[in-house]
Amino acid sequence: MENIITKLAGGKLLIQLNKTIYEKDAVTNAAYKMTDSCHILVKPTENGMFNVYFEPKKNESETELEKIAKEFCNEILDMQVRLDIEKRYGNIRDLIIQQAFSPIENIKDKIKI
Amino acid sequence: MSKYQLLPFRFQKFDSEQMLIVNEVGEFFFIPLKDFADLVSNNLDVKKSIFLDLKSKHFTTDTEIEPVIKMLATKYRTKKSFLYNFTSLHMVVPTLRCNSKCIYCQVSSKKTDDMKYDMNEATAKRVVDMIFCSPSLSVKIEFQGGEPLLNFKIVKYIIEYAEKCNSRHHKQLEFVICSNLTLINDEMLHYLKDHNVYISTSLDGPKFLHDKNRPLKTGLGNYDTVVENIYKVRQHLGEKSVSALMTTTKESLEYVQAIIDNYITLGFDSLFLRSLNPYGFAKRDWSEIGYNIENFINFYKEALNHIIDVNLRGTFFVENYTTLLLTRILTPFSTGFVDLQSPAGVVISGVIYDFNGNVYVADEGRMLSYEGDYTFLMGNVHQNSYNELFHSDNVVLLLKKSCLECLPRCSHCVYQSYCGADPVRNYAEQGDIIGNRMSSSSCKKNMSMIRHLFEIIRENQRDKMDVFWSWITRRPLIEKSKC
Repeated sequence: MENIITKLAGGKLLIQLNKTIYEKDAVTNAAYKMTDSCHILVKPTENGMFNVYFEPKKNESETELEKIAKEFCNEILDMQVRLDIEKRYGNIRDLIIQQAFSPIENIKDKIKI
Repeated sequence: MSKYQLLPFRFQKFDSEQMLIVNEVGEFFFIPLKDFADLVSNNLDVKKSIFLDLKSKHFTTDTEIEPVIKMLATKYRTKKSFLYNFTSLHMVVPTLRCNSKCIYCQVSSKKTDDMKYDMNEATAKRVVDMIFCSPSLSVKIEFQGGEPLLNFKIVKYIIEYAEKCNSRHHKQLEFVICSNLTLINDEMLHYLKDHNVYISTSLDGPKFLHDKNRPLKTGLGNYDTVVENIYKVRQHLGEKSVSALMTTTKESLEYVQAIIDNYITLGFDSLFLRSLNPYGFAKRDWSEIGYNIENFINFYKEALNHIIDVNLRGTFFVENYTTLLLTRILTPFSTGFVDLQSPAGVVISGVIYDFNGNVYVADEGRMLSYEGDYTFLMGNVHQNSYNELFHSDNVVLLLKKSCLECLPRCSHCVYQSYCGADPVRNYAEQGDIIGNRMSSSSCKKNMSMIRHLFEIIRENQRDKMDVFWSWITRRPLIEKSKC
């Protein structure tokens, strides 16, 4: 795990994520989960990466912040899996809700998966 | 081409061995992590029994999708059927005067002789007229306070005028008075009997605890009077005519079993384990009477264990919040509880009319107004029409921002189908109606409670599940075993 996290001045940490693997939604959703534990900043870079900066919020030690950053790594994977699975539902969720309150004619033609 | 089609579901790793998955209509399944990985990577063998389980619970299908969508849509409509009763609960405050001085009072009650905080007839009439504008076929008018019995004249006026209006509207009309039961007399009881009024009172547990939490303004305790009057109410109005709510303070946390046993001794067959809400005196004195949500969860777990034991020993006794959650988890049905709805239950399920005709989206919104914050004021019955009050841009915006399906974290939460949005609580705690789930105590509370119930459900011990089902069906275990 040592190459995942870069230590910066002022006790900050940096994680770089490849946009070809992680979507913006996955990054922001995972970052949101960490908002109670630390300050987080997400910045896109010109070379196709997301730079994610972690800064202590409540005087967390370097080790504690590192732990949070590693948890973020797992969280982002979890979020990306959710997004990938959701894509496989296509518009089925929307059709279920629409059909519940306003029956749809020819559902079969409206399914996009 | 895929061997099967995944259907929408949410998931969370439950422990090192299993994933909990829950679909759009609340059907759930514990799946081994290896099988989950196979499922989502389209490698699950459709001949395996686990695939058939998942198919039967609508997590996946290997046949035509259209009938499955129709089936799930029907179930979804049932789960959201509370939307068809817009608005069924109408809380009315006949007076802000109160003879109690509860340590956690959330409504800044007024002195018993301060009559300017009483609702007058003109306001009461407008309130009832407004209530009957509601399209809901069932209407419950619940008198809140202050202590409603201090302005019994207006309580009677509202009951009689509502009955008169209902002779034209033919709604299913119910009345409930939330009273501390210290002032009730025979004359009132006769009246309440004649008009089928149900009573909800407050009881915080044994005498020492109740009197500490809920003293009278005179400084005296009222436990003995309350208990005497509970029996009196039952005598006049029937055994099931009175229920009680308890509020958990820091002191209560140490007396889990004593509180429950006290309820049972007094002949109640249920209680509602209610945590302290951060409004009024409770907010002001939080450091003395409040606690971390983790403390409440431990209290809840211990209480639930004890209540289950009580049931297994032959006494039918229900924890009401658990029953609401279990009904949502184990049945396809909707529950009408305001705090567990998406969109939020505010306005859709309930509103409150203050003594001066101000209308608020929820009782907690009224509580905030006493601190000078009118964010949740919908308007006033004298100044606004039904449409202006109930269909305003503010109300629509509030409801739009209270759909779990679109709230951060909630949108992916495995417990979404069982939970609800509480914009007023979010605002009170965090200054924002959407709120941050990571630091929300009500989110922690609901997630911990639901998870705890799922742990018990997963164990699937027959005796405990029998108790749960007896609560959902409101039929004692002994009665059930005779069937």
